[in-house]
Amino acid sequence: MCQNQKSRNSNVVFAVLILISFFFIIGKISAPVNFVKNLVYHIAYPNLDAANYIFCCSDEVGDNTKTMVNLRQENIAYKQKNQELIDKLRNYDAMSQEYENLSKLLKIKKINNITFVFAKTSAREPCEWYRWLIIDKGEDDGLYNELSVVMFNKDNDTLCAVGKIIETYKTSSKVMLVTNSFYTLPVEIKNKGVNCLAKGFDSNLLRITYIPQGADIKRGDEVVVSELSSAFQRGMRVGVIKDVTDEKSTCSQTATAEVSFGSNNLYNAIILVPQVDGK
Amino acid sequence: MRKIIYYVLIYIAFCLLQFSFGKYINICGIFPNFILILIVYLGLSKGTMDAQLMGFLFGLTWDIFSTDIFGARAIMFTIIGHFLGILNKKLDRDKIYTQFVIVFLASIVYWLGVSFIYYIIHGSGNYNFTFFTLSGAAKIFVTAFAAPAVFYVLNYARKEA
Repeated sequence: MCQNQKSRNSNVVFAVLILISFFFIIGKISAPVNFVKNLVYHIAYPNLDAANYIFCCSDEVGDNTKTMVNLRQENIAYKQKNQELIDKLRNYDAMSQEYENLSKLLKIKKINNITFVFAKTSAREPCEWYRWLIIDKGEDDGLYNELSVVMFNKDNDTLCAVGKIIETYKTSSKVMLVTNSFYTLPVEIKNKGVNCLAKGFDSNLLRITYIPQGADIKRGDEVVVSELSSAFQRGMRVGVIKDVTDEKSTCSQTATAEVSFGSNNLYNAIILVPQVDGK
Repeated sequence: MRKIIYYVLIYIAFCLLQFSFGKYINICGIFPNFILILIVYLGLSKGTMDAQLMGFLFGLTWDIFSTDIFGARAIMFTIIGHFLGILNKKLDRDKIYTQFVIVFLASIVYWLGVSFIYYIIHGSGNYNFTFFTLSGAAKIFVTAFAAPAVFYVLNYARKEA
């Protein structure tokens, strides 16, 4: 009903406008029509200078509008980022609370944060190249046994697991490398959730064992520290799969992985020192 | 109130664009008919009433600023606005193809309509038919090609308003 009424009004207006236009066309040369037309023309039409000025101004307006649009988009992006950070902070608070509760329950020392001690390799025996190394920082720098040692890999801007301190002296420490045949590290295949063990091989290769049969492991897959490791942070790079061996006699597969830290360029190391309560 | 302000701003902007900036942004003397694109846009997005009223107003303004037959553009823009307003629910105005085709057809109707009025009022006259035809055809194509860009700007302005 309302639609019909609207349509009828619209048709009436259309007829009126057409009639007016028709009368204008018919009376095109009559003096009153000419007079009104010329009057409006002289009042409303901008002269060339004015048009030029408006055009120049419009350049500025265009630039400003562009800036405003860009700012608006930037603002939207920042708002989204802000929301993401708020969500992360909320998760962080929940995790922090959970961590505190667990620490209380298990009566363990609470790690507030981790400090980094930067050290240089001071000695490395050629015949035990892949087993040990000596760094130039020791007890005087707050180091002690079982601290994890990592290295910054410049190729992919990440920290890679190198080993752990097993002997500490006043100004030096001995580090057992992950490539040492005595070293075993719980690892996982990145993005595949396959937990396994990395064992040193006294070479730049690691033997990855206990890979479940049927797990989709391929050459080039990344091996990272698993959640089960007490020394390293989960997700820290360990190596890259080079080869997978399917042993039919056992219920698991074995693979070899090349270590991520450049063993021949291991001149600088970073020791992660957890700061516990009361220290 | 907001609607009135929107229409006043659109009116001023398109008058300036069509009547003042032609000498700056023409291609070999061929300049898109921005007002026709606006009328088509209004017809497809707002409906009959808005499109025909704005068409009449723009047509009248253009007639005042030109030395041609007074009322010719007003009648053509009113007719185009009215009939496109009727089609507004049946066409998808967001498709570039639709915009191009509708503006193209509207340009042809406009051009034929104005030419017909000239023919009626002045007779066949002594104008150069070939040049007139070529110029008209070029304007139709330039207008149709400019339509998607103008539609985009108008859609953006509409959202902001």
